[in-house]
Amino acid sequence: MRLALYVTCLVDLMRPAVGLAALRLLEEAGCEVVVPAAQTCCGQPAWSAGNRDLARDLAQKAIAELEGCDYVVIPSGSCADQIRNVYPQLLADDPAWAARAQAVAARSHELTAFLADVLALDAVPGAFAGSVTYHDSCKGLRGLGVKAQPRELLARVRGLTLAEMRDCEECCGFGGAFAVRFGDISTAIVDRKCEAIAAAGADAVVGGDLGCLLNIEGRLRRRGDTRTRVLHVAEVLAGAEPA
Amino acid sequence: MTAAVRSQAMFFQARAARQARDSGLQKTLEKARPLFVGKRAKGLAGLADDGLDFAGLRAACEAIRRRVVDDLDVWLELFEARATAGGAEVLWARDGDEVARLVVDIAQRHGVTKAVKSKSMLSEEARLNEALAAAGIRPVETDLGEYIVQLAGEAPSHIIAPAVHKTLAEVEALFAQHHERPVQARTAADIPALAAEARAVLRQHFLSAEMGISGANFLIAESGSAALVTNEGNGRMVTTLPRVHVVVTGIEKIVPTLDDFATLMRLLPRSATGQGISNYVSLLTGTRGADEREGPEKTVFILVDNGRAALAGSDFAAMLRCIRCGACMNHCPVYFSLGGHAYGWVYPGPMGSVLTPLFTGIENALDLPHASTGCNQCGSVCPVNIPLPALMHRLREMQHERGLRPWRERLALRAWAWLAARPGLYRWATRRAARYLRWLTDESGRIRVLGLAPEWTAGRDLAPPPGRTFHELYAARKRA
Repeated sequence: MRLALYVTCLVDLMRPAVGLAALRLLEEAGCEVVVPAAQTCCGQPAWSAGNRDLARDLAQKAIAELEGCDYVVIPSGSCADQIRNVYPQLLADDPAWAARAQAVAARSHELTAFLADVLALDAVPGAFAGSVTYHDSCKGLRGLGVKAQPRELLARVRGLTLAEMRDCEECCGFGGAFAVRFGDISTAIVDRKCEAIAAAGADAVVGGDLGCLLNIEGRLRRRGDTRTRVLHVAEVLAGAEPA
Repeated sequence: MTAAVRSQAMFFQARAARQARDSGLQKTLEKARPLFVGKRAKGLAGLADDGLDFAGLRAACEAIRRRVVDDLDVWLELFEARATAGGAEVLWARDGDEVARLVVDIAQRHGVTKAVKSKSMLSEEARLNEALAAAGIRPVETDLGEYIVQLAGEAPSHIIAPAVHKTLAEVEALFAQHHERPVQARTAADIPALAAEARAVLRQHFLSAEMGISGANFLIAESGSAALVTNEGNGRMVTTLPRVHVVVTGIEKIVPTLDDFATLMRLLPRSATGQGISNYVSLLTGTRGADEREGPEKTVFILVDNGRAALAGSDFAAMLRCIRCGACMNHCPVYFSLGGHAYGWVYPGPMGSVLTPLFTGIENALDLPHASTGCNQCGSVCPVNIPLPALMHRLREMQHERGLRPWRERLALRAWAWLAARPGLYRWATRRAARYLRWLTDESGRIRVLGLAPEWTAGRDLAPPPGRTFHELYAARKRA
C-alpha cells in the first residue's frame, strides 16, 4: 500500500515533529509512505477568504501531486476536510478536474481516521505517563465525523489515561484568519477552552489540528499555565523520537 | 436600503472588540449559555419517548420548509384566500417603511392611542415602535424581555430572549425607575416578584389598548390562521383583548397545512428552549364571530417582503427555511463572546450574519460573514438544516467578486498564493520564516510579540518552531 503524506503548511513551518511522528506511525504500520516534494498548502486560506480562483489553482496543484497514490493521509482534520469535502465542489463545474478531485477526495483521510478505520491499527508505539484531555477540532468532528478514532488510538498508548474536558466539541476560537481578524473575539472564545482544560486537570491537551493547538497553547501560556503540555495526537501516538 | 433599515453592522469590528472585553457582559452570557444548550439537548433526548429522533424530524421539517420556499407564491395566494374568507384583511408590504405606514394608518383609522405588542422581530426590521410613537400612538411591549429592553431604550439582543444581556440588578433598577418605587436588594429568588410586578403593570395596558400587534411563528395556508408560540400568555392578551389585531410577519413564515405545523412544532420549542411544547400555542383565525364573546373586531395580516422574495431561487434560498428558533446563536461561540448588540441590526448570531448583509446590503455588513470560525456548531443544530457556514462563505465570495475586500488583504492573499504555487521558492521562504521565528523567541522559549500578526500576540503567545522545516528535516533523514 503506497500512500502520500500531506504534512500541511502549518506542520511544515511550525511543528515539523508532527509530520515526522505521522511518518513514523504510518511506516511502522507497514505502509510505503511518499512525501510529495512539491506540496505547499491545500489552499484553504484562499477558500475561506472567498477567493475561489486562488483556491482552485492550489487545489489543482495538490490534486496533481496526490493522485498517484492509493491513499492520502493528512495530520489535520481541517486540511483533510478541504481536500475531501471542498475540492469536489470547488472543481465540480470543471470537466477536466471534477473526476480527479473526486478521486483524490475519496482516497484522502485524516490521520487518526486512516489509522483506526482503514488500517484498523491495534497497537501504537507511543507511551505517555499521565492523563490527557482531547479537544475535538471542528472540521474534523463536524466535517469528517472524526470523534471515536483518536480516542480509540489514544486508549492503546501505554500509561495514558483520558480525562475528557467539558464541552470538548466546542470550538477553540482559531478559525484561521478569524484569530487574527477578530483577535479579541478569538481570545474570549479560547479563554473558555482554557478554563475547560484547566477543569479537566490533565497533564496534556491533545488534538488533531495544529492551528487549534497553537491557539490553545498560545493562550494557555499567556494566561500563565506553563504546566499543561499541548500535543498533536500524532506525537502522542508515535511516542518519543527514537534516538 | 430603506430608511427603516439603519443598520450599524459596519461597526461590527469596533463593537465586537468592546463587547468581547466586557467582563460583566461575558459573565451574564456565560450563565445563559449552558441553560440554552443543556435544555435543548434534554428536549431532543425526550423525542425518544415518542419514538422520534432529531435526524428524522429534521429531514421532515426541512422538506416542509423547502416545499414552501419552492412555491412561495402559491402558498401565499392560498393563505390570502383562506384568511380573507375567515374575515381577516390581508395586506402586503414591500419593506419596513411600508409596514410602518400601514400599521400607523390602520391605527389612525380606528382611533388607536395605545398598541400592545407581543414579540415580533419583523417590527424591529420596520422600526415600528418609532413610527408609532412619532404618530402619537404609544407602543407597549408585553413580552417580559421585550418590555425590559423597551424600558431600557435598547433593541433586543437575542431573537427569543431579548433581554438575555441584562442582569437582575439592571432589571431591578429599570423597574424601580419606571414603576416609580425605591430600588430594592434583589436575588434570583425575587425574579417571580419582578415578573408579577411587570404583569400588574402590563395588565392595565392590555385592558386599555385599542390595538394589539403580534408577529406569527407560522401562517397556515389551508386554514388562513396565524400560529403563535409563546410562554408568557401575553400573546393571547394582545391578540384577543384589543378591538383591532394586526399580525406583522414575513412572507416566508407560511406552512401548507396544520399537519405540517404540528411537525414543525416538534422541533421549534425543543430547539429554542428545550420544551416539548411551549406554554401557549395559539391558532388565530379570522375575527370575532357574531356569537363569540372574545377576539378582535378587526384582524389585519401584513405580509412583509423586505428582501425575502429576492432570496427565493437564489444561492440563499435555504435561509428562507429559518423558523427563528435561536438555536444557531445559542450554540455560537462568537455570539456568546459578544451578545447580540455587536451585530448591529435586528438579527444576531449566525442567522443574522447571513440575513443582515442580504437585507441591508452586502457592502454595509462586510465583517459579519467573516465573524465565524467556521465551526458549524450552528449548522449542526439547525432544525431545518440550513447550511449557515456555507451561506456565510458564499457571502465572502460575493464580497471578493465585487471587490469589496480591503486591498491589503487581497494583496497578501495573492502574494501568499503566488508563493504557494512555486514550491522551490516556497521552501526557501519557509526556511527563512522558520529561522526568523526561532530568532524572535525570548528567553522563556516563547514568542510574545509578532510584528507580522500583532493581533495574534495581543492575546496569545506563539510556540516557536524548532528552526528547521519538516521538508528540511525529511530531506536530511532521506540523505542519512
